Amino acid sequence: MEPQIGPPSADRGTPPQISSPERRDRNSRRPLSRLKPYAPFFALVALSLLIGAMNARFFEFNNLIRIANSAAIPLVLALGMTFVIVLGSIDLSVEGVLAIGAVLISLLVRNNSNTNDFGWFGVVLAILACGAIGCANGAIHVGLRIPSFMVTLGMWFIGVGVATLLLGGSTVRVVDKGIRSLALERFLDFPIAVWIALGTLGITWIIERQTRIGRYIYAIGGGEDLAALSGIPVRRVKIIVFTIAGTLFGLGGLLSAAQLGLGNALIGSGRLFSTVTAVVVGGTALTGGEGGVINTLVGVMIMAVLGNGMVLLGISPDLQLGVQGVLIILAVALSLDRARLKIVK
Amino acid sequence: MNSPNKDITGIPIHRRTFLRRTAGFAGATAVLSIVPRRAFAAGTPTMVNSIRSLSNPYHATWNQGGQAFAKSIGADYVTLVTEGDSEKGIADIRAILAKTGGNMVLNVDPNDSPDARPIVDACVKAGAYVVTQWNKPADLHPWDFNPNYVAHIAFDGVHYGEDTANALIKAIGGSGGIVALGGILSNTPAIERKAGLEKALNANPNIKLLDFQVANWKSTEAFNIVSAWLTRFGGDIKGIWAANDDMAVGTLEALRAEKLAGKVPITGIDGIKSAIEAVRAGEFAATVSWDPYWQGSMGLSIAYAAKTGKIDPAKEPKEHREFYGTGVLVTKENADEFYKTHIESEPKIDFNDYWGRVTGQIRQS
Repeated sequence: MEPQIGPPSADRGTPPQISSPERRDRNSRRPLSRLKPYAPFFALVALSLLIGAMNARFFEFNNLIRIANSAAIPLVLALGMTFVIVLGSIDLSVEGVLAIGAVLISLLVRNNSNTNDFGWFGVVLAILACGAIGCANGAIHVGLRIPSFMVTLGMWFIGVGVATLLLGGSTVRVVDKGIRSLALERFLDFPIAVWIALGTLGITWIIERQTRIGRYIYAIGGGEDLAALSGIPVRRVKIIVFTIAGTLFGLGGLLSAAQLGLGNALIGSGRLFSTVTAVVVGGTALTGGEGGVINTLVGVMIMAVLGNGMVLLGISPDLQLGVQGVLIILAVALSLDRARLKIVK
Repeated sequence: MNSPNKDITGIPIHRRTFLRRTAGFAGATAVLSIVPRRAFAAGTPTMVNSIRSLSNPYHATWNQGGQAFAKSIGADYVTLVTEGDSEKGIADIRAILAKTGGNMVLNVDPNDSPDARPIVDACVKAGAYVVTQWNKPADLHPWDFNPNYVAHIAFDGVHYGEDTANALIKAIGGSGGIVALGGILSNTPAIERKAGLEKALNANPNIKLLDFQVANWKSTEAFNIVSAWLTRFGGDIKGIWAANDDMAVGTLEALRAEKLAGKVPITGIDGIKSAIEAVRAGEFAATVSWDPYWQGSMGLSIAYAAKTGKIDPAKEPKEHREFYGTGVLVTKENADEFYKTHIESEPKIDFNDYWGRVTGQIRQS
């Protein structure tokens, strides 16, 4: 997964063996470590088999659709968060940006509170606004040198505050059939929201694997000082990454408004924690430089399967939080290559 | 990251700079939270509502009620919001007590039960009159603080949890399987409403509770749980009981996504607008409205009556000092009427009818 950052020109042409013996050596000593990156995936498979063994209905096609549907919004949000975390930063503004997105959309399309009817044009405007908020996050973070933790924490409150002001605390119902169809209409048996989430996955995967920005993100996450010295435009990349995050949180706002058929300031509440958890459970390290969008897909699926499975197995609500906690720690313990960590904070 | 004094961008940031920025941010929030509508007039006491936030429909309506009452007596009106922070809630109340010199009445929904004590203490000390709602410690009683602690108002969760469960049971014809969604396990209303549900179930042996899950009062969590229930129980689910309207709305949308909206009756509690609309549309069997407009206005009105001598708290019976208010069960029969009087127009409330909605003294547990 680690991108090979181009070595200084003097080394160009040196055979790759120079660096690989050490790696091969370590892997031969501990063959299991070669499987480490796939640990979350195995965890997902094991979890599914376990739940399926106890309740065969888990594997019904209808249940697969339901799991996919409950994973769609978390996936879009977690994809936005992934790049930020790979950078070694964090974006806490999920709930605020999502609220602004959902509230703007519900006020701009046909609704029960005003006479607007901008349809998809309104949706695009709202998502662009969310992208702009993300851009502001990034610009303030690099421009004023404030840790991303603080900037985005502030933006979270601002977002919820603005959403509250826009609505005066009330809830707006989305009447627009087109918007609702994202959640209510199906294509090839799956709700359209699921296809949108998959499309987002495809686009972010291309950004990660096929573009320069994708490479730069890993370089910065792996060692920002080195990345800066090798001429990577660190500040610009960071702003772009936060903008992508804001845009995807806005898209999450669209899907939330479509799913519940309403917009209010608290529509995103609880999303931050589940988003960060999904990213980390998938094997993306909070320290940056490791993981990626496929890990995030696996992490989101683990959380969705877990949520679905606990209801299917009838696990008592008193125990569910505990079970969830144990499994999160297990998943991270399996996937982190602790031998390579110098410091654990 | 390799040196403690660098932030993520690798540029040194001094602790003092960081502290100053944080303090500035916190200060700005504190100033913004006290928003006086007009300049404070001398003489007429200031009307103060302290609530969780203006972001939820419930407290927003509460606030409208407060505004309407203040307007009716020509007093200044102030809204304080705790945003779920007990410290902030108490500090803001102390600040406004100091600012008004105690010439105010306070209607407060304390963020957490223990908060009620310092709030009442501060009001007694400043000579202000206070009504608390929903949360207070069981051993804190208005009659121990005559005349300043005028009353405490709550709603009987057991009673209304049972009411909505009975409405649900009626809607499914008295027999079959139901599932139920509860609120945060440690919340008093969640515990009470669930107890009400269980009472109704005990009285109706033909109804089987297939599963009880906790969706933490949230639509989104309810959505996912209901989806999974459809896999587990499928058509065996004849009705769904939810401990609040937000979860009931999430339930409804999960059913709608499976083309089941309106086919499986749902009940909620709280009486938010979407819930009333769903009852009218036949998608909810029932909800209960607490009438937050009444809570926001009458809490002030009762305290104001004590301050101006219209009532003498010390002479009022205990069931006027600690009482359960009246909720309205909204079903298909009264939904249209309720919508007209409470949603489309501002509710008409007789601000001088202090005890009209008393339904008994709060149980001492």
